[in-house]
Amino acid sequence: MKKGFSGLIGLLFVALILAACSDDSGSAGNDVEIPEGATEVVMWNLFGGGDAEYMEDIVTEFNDSQEEYFVNNVQQEYDEYYTKLLTSVGSGKGPDLGIAHSHVLPELVSQGLVTNIDDYAADVGLNWDEFNQNVLDVTIYDGNNYAVPIDTHPEIMFINNDLVEEAGLLNDDGTPKFEETPEGFIDFLTSLKETLPEDKMAFAFPSTGEDPYRIWWALYNQMGGENLVSGDLENPTYALDHEKAIEAAKYIYDLYHTHEVTPLDLADFYSDFQSGNAAVMSTGVWATGIWETTDDLNFTPMPFPNMFGQEAAWASSHTFVLPYYDDADEDSQKGAVEFMKFATDNGADWARAGHIPAKDTVLESEEFKDMPYRSEYAEVADYVKYVDRTVHARGIQDIVVRNLDTYWAGNATAEEVFSMIEQEVTDLIAE
Amino acid sequence: MIKKQWIQDLKAIPFLLPFFVAYMIFTIFPIFKGLEMSLYDWTLVRKLEFVGLENYIKMFTDRHFWRTLWNTTFFVILTTPTMVLLALGLALLSNLNTKLKTFFRGSFFIPSILSVSVISFLMIFMLQPYNGLVNNVIQMLGIDAEPKWMADQGLAWVTIVVVTLWWTVGFNMILFLAALQDIPESLYEASEIDGASRWDMFKYITLPQLIPIGRVVLLLQILASYKVFAQILLITGGGPGGATRPLIQYIYEVGFNQNNLGYAATMSYALFFILLILSIIQLKSQRSGEN
Repeated sequence: MKKGFSGLIGLLFVALILAACSDDSGSAGNDVEIPEGATEVVMWNLFGGGDAEYMEDIVTEFNDSQEEYFVNNVQQEYDEYYTKLLTSVGSGKGPDLGIAHSHVLPELVSQGLVTNIDDYAADVGLNWDEFNQNVLDVTIYDGNNYAVPIDTHPEIMFINNDLVEEAGLLNDDGTPKFEETPEGFIDFLTSLKETLPEDKMAFAFPSTGEDPYRIWWALYNQMGGENLVSGDLENPTYALDHEKAIEAAKYIYDLYHTHEVTPLDLADFYSDFQSGNAAVMSTGVWATGIWETTDDLNFTPMPFPNMFGQEAAWASSHTFVLPYYDDADEDSQKGAVEFMKFATDNGADWARAGHIPAKDTVLESEEFKDMPYRSEYAEVADYVKYVDRTVHARGIQDIVVRNLDTYWAGNATAEEVFSMIEQEVTDLIAE
Repeated sequence: MIKKQWIQDLKAIPFLLPFFVAYMIFTIFPIFKGLEMSLYDWTLVRKLEFVGLENYIKMFTDRHFWRTLWNTTFFVILTTPTMVLLALGLALLSNLNTKLKTFFRGSFFIPSILSVSVISFLMIFMLQPYNGLVNNVIQMLGIDAEPKWMADQGLAWVTIVVVTLWWTVGFNMILFLAALQDIPESLYEASEIDGASRWDMFKYITLPQLIPIGRVVLLLQILASYKVFAQILLITGGGPGGATRPLIQYIYEVGFNQNNLGYAATMSYALFFILLILSIIQLKSQRSGEN
């Protein structure tokens, strides 16, 4: 009896472990009830905060709008999203529908992880002509559409109307008073700094990470700089124009160190602006959704000033992708593309987050035009400069951000950091 | 009798089996898989081609590997001796026969139960310039300074070391405390009769008795410090500009952001090898010490 008991316990443990290892659900989706007769479309998304809610609303609307398909929306942790997507699709166990940033598309396409959408698009009546061409371009590889763009989200600028007015720098029409030149913008920030009380800051902006890198990219492009690397998707060549790159970086460096209009090492520049302590801040358009739900924050969004001649802004784009499987279920795939069409047609819902919808038809709709703030910066989508199309985009970004951080911190000269960037990027793309 | 023992042993198998299976699947198998990966060009998605020792050769000329390995070693040098001394000091304090004994033990140990994300968030909150607690206290004391705890290279190291000490010292303290309580009271009584001072007692009884556990703490600390990653990633992100980036962060970036698991596995093996050598040296010296 005793022996039998211990054996039983042992077997139970083994069974539990094996059960934990296996995936007997056969689905990458949430455990939800699929309406009878409907085809399940498992979608993985990488959104957080407000974005996640707006996407969930669109999914619910889609599921309610018809009975043929049911989108099973799975929220994934952003930090692990791409690792998970790449590995799970590679092993044939990923979702039917995924979301990817435009700069990650080259990796997905070159590794054969996503499917050409053209055939399905024709099937469901997805019309490519309705999209903003600039945004659509980043999804086309060898003449084929490998993704459906949802939006474009550029880095823009926000001003606190009350503080700028208090400093006497607000025009009657609500625009800030400054000349769109390198000196004009600095004069504007310096006047703010001198006029505002000491506990208010002129420009809330971090001195590490992606935001200063994005502004650097915008200024570099405004000066006519075009690429960091160019050529082949998988084997590009280094193409950064160091003269322009250094000039753009120096301009930002001076904001921190020479003019001291933005304090170094802000831990949370969002909260500095949100609490009304900063006159100007710059980040992605997604902040619009946060600011407009903040009580007593009287703000205006606007494109980051074009100071060096050419219109340019950093941006990325969220896109829908159709993961590739050898034995893909055509019904689910068609359902996925149906959902892509639905979501982009209803881009105004998505614009609530602050993003600029990818479809021109949405931008021209009354529903979008009636939304406050969005029209102030919607035009930026026409001149955004996406980062280079290369499978190394994420690796290159790590390198550039880290080296620029060294420069902002004052631990190396601009010449030194760009020679480091050249060396590191060249090493990376040589592999 | 012998047969009975054999049956007895057999009975243990069902209880050992689950752990054995899990251990094989999650520890032993990945070790060999990792070795295989390091010999291939291997992305997150698939194995590409056999490259032999190419990844290892590349590692020896990779500046970032050496830089991040040095950063990690620097962290080990900074934290290990301070950790051992601090843990010992706190254990002695907690072992004093005072009313505050329980309070000391509790308050020193509590940080260890917090997760790395919590302690990192707390530290960023306290150390941020302009409105963080620490800088406000400094200014209240009349010092007109705004230290950039996370943006200045030197201060970033201070921050990481202090955070790590505060967070993990409790566990080492418990080890010392347990050893302190194992020292027979009779030794102290005997020495008291012989007229030994308190300092003599500490020097000739307490310290020698603590040497074995001290070795364990030292080894565990070196191994743990070489694997430092999460608190640095969360507090400084390896910055400013890579100044505090440890080896594991570099491995992580290469593997997951640059999609090069083969090379990441190679560097993991290098770290494994370093830890193995250190452990062997440590164990050898321990044995010769015991002899």
